[in-house]
Amino acid sequence: MSEIKQHAFLFDATRCIDCRACMVACSVENNIPMDKTRIWVAGVGLKGIFPNLDSASMVYHCMHCEDPDCLSACPVGAYTKRPDGPIIYDPDKCIGCRYCMNACPFGVPHFDYDKGLIEGAFIDKCTMCPQRIDVGLEPACVATCPTDALEFGERADLIARAHARIQAHPERYIDHVYGETENGGTSYLILSHVPFTELGLPEIGSLPVKEVSETVMGYTIPFALGWSAVLSVVAAGVHLYNQKNEKKSSTEVTPEESK
Amino acid sequence: MKMSLTIQPRFRLPLIVWILLGLMGFAFVVAMVRYAVGIGPISDLSNSYPWGFWISLDLFTGVAIGSGAFVIAAIVYIFELKEFQPLAKPAVLTGFLGYIMVVVSLLVDLGHPERIYYMLIHTNHTSVLLEIGICVMSYLTVLAIEFSPVVFEGIKKEKWAHFIHKFIMPFVILGVVLSTLHQSSLGSLLLIQPTKLHPLWWTPILPIQFFVSALAIGLGMVILESTLSSRYFKRGLESHLLEKLGKAIPVILAIYLVIKFGELIWASDLHYLFSSGWMSILFWLEILVSSVIPMIWFSIKRLRQNPNALLTGAIILLIGMIFNRFNVSWFAIQHPDPITYIPTFMSNVKYIPTLPEMAVSIGIFSAGILAFGLAARYLPVFDNEPEQIQPSVGD
Repeated sequence: MSEIKQHAFLFDATRCIDCRACMVACSVENNIPMDKTRIWVAGVGLKGIFPNLDSASMVYHCMHCEDPDCLSACPVGAYTKRPDGPIIYDPDKCIGCRYCMNACPFGVPHFDYDKGLIEGAFIDKCTMCPQRIDVGLEPACVATCPTDALEFGERADLIARAHARIQAHPERYIDHVYGETENGGTSYLILSHVPFTELGLPEIGSLPVKEVSETVMGYTIPFALGWSAVLSVVAAGVHLYNQKNEKKSSTEVTPEESK
Repeated sequence: MKMSLTIQPRFRLPLIVWILLGLMGFAFVVAMVRYAVGIGPISDLSNSYPWGFWISLDLFTGVAIGSGAFVIAAIVYIFELKEFQPLAKPAVLTGFLGYIMVVVSLLVDLGHPERIYYMLIHTNHTSVLLEIGICVMSYLTVLAIEFSPVVFEGIKKEKWAHFIHKFIMPFVILGVVLSTLHQSSLGSLLLIQPTKLHPLWWTPILPIQFFVSALAIGLGMVILESTLSSRYFKRGLESHLLEKLGKAIPVILAIYLVIKFGELIWASDLHYLFSSGWMSILFWLEILVSSVIPMIWFSIKRLRQNPNALLTGAIILLIGMIFNRFNVSWFAIQHPDPITYIPTFMSNVKYIPTLPEMAVSIGIFSAGILAFGLAARYLPVFDNEPEQIQPSVGD
């Protein structure tokens, strides 16, 4: 519908060699100390018995959900989703409540636990390198990946490419593109030869986890108004009823004690 | 009946005050260190456990035990059961101080406490936390207004007190509405974590469960706080009133249990009751202490009429309900841990609160007790003067 391209990543776990060049590239590009990396490589380690060994690893960073939970949870609206995909965090609005970290089912946002008030403790997470994609470059992690385990492009194209790859090598892949529907769709798509849970990915339905929370929030204002009205009517009713009773039994001394 | 009103000649001021001041001072030092070097060095909070002891105790428990104020306000002003009037002022004071404690502790927990007012200017309407923030701020104002007549009476400005009293009703209703909203929203706060909170606790009706349990907690708190202050501030105990409040507790708890188990049946989550290892044990322990035991306890008339038994029942109820808040906001939540390179999502990340972390909460709590003591001493918080009290035995 829209002419704006939806940027996305495609990660292929069968191609990843666990070299972690993406982590270095990301830290250099975005000027982040290595211990605060925005990318983690989760590895399952070796599996199997000697000659038939197998291993898998997964490059893990912000999934840039189509319908982000962090954005829904943030009380001060520090998160925005750009129409072309990236979810951007604005440190100037953040109050440091860390609710986004609870909300994100992937555990992506990270906090500066070692910074005091003066330095300022903020959330950090992958930004999809907007400074690069705005000038037509791929994000740093993708550009540096030596095995093309990470690819970048338009979301619809990448989904098609992923399915084509599964069809070409059905014996190599699990027949599922993680992120196509998970959590309402993510901009980080994953192909794998081992179960996705082994890569550290949560099992999530096609509805974003924020769904129930947002629905309930939608009832807040109507409920508040309705409840105020009910309580006012009850209070007025009780008051009138008591007045009537008091008049009736005005001769009696202690109306309070009667029950 | 032996009343436990053996009146001490004097509130042992120096010792208690010194202990409380010491705890406050330690908390203050810890808070300053936290502001200087960050949350990490003084606590065990991490990227895997962004919320821990402070949120479970200060926010979840603090708000829950503040519910006495709105429960009593509703009973006295909306349902005009004026006989409960003597309980209102101390309950409102407890609520007011409790909510101040919540806000103060959040100022330690927040990464940018100096920006807390951003909640009023950059609002994101889908955020449950925003609703809680705004409700707590507004309700604190309402409680201040509700309590202000006592202060005015204390400084001999009866006219002002009367003026506030004239317009108290809208504030009472606003207070009850705000309380309903944020007591239930504390449950909604966890709705966004269906993949992390254990299914025994996660349900779309968490807000309703939270509200119903807040009613029981409110009654329990009124019993606790009235009984304790009657002992320490040499004043009579309105045991006949408390007995009546106690009578309502089994009803509320029965509703609570029906909601809780009804939801499990409806969501066909019953099998988790026995198959989830530690989680099942936590759940049953919580149900037993928070609901089943208090429900039986408060159903027995003889126990309700004995002030000591009434107090014990309230303490059991409160411990159980606080355990529920801890379960929901901490024990039953499993956090992802991508940074340790352990592939299994929801791996075995550990979080053990540190001593300084707990010291902050304890210090803030000490300040609350001290403030209550000061207010009880110097303001007309308690209607009845000691000589008027006739500890009534039954009706």
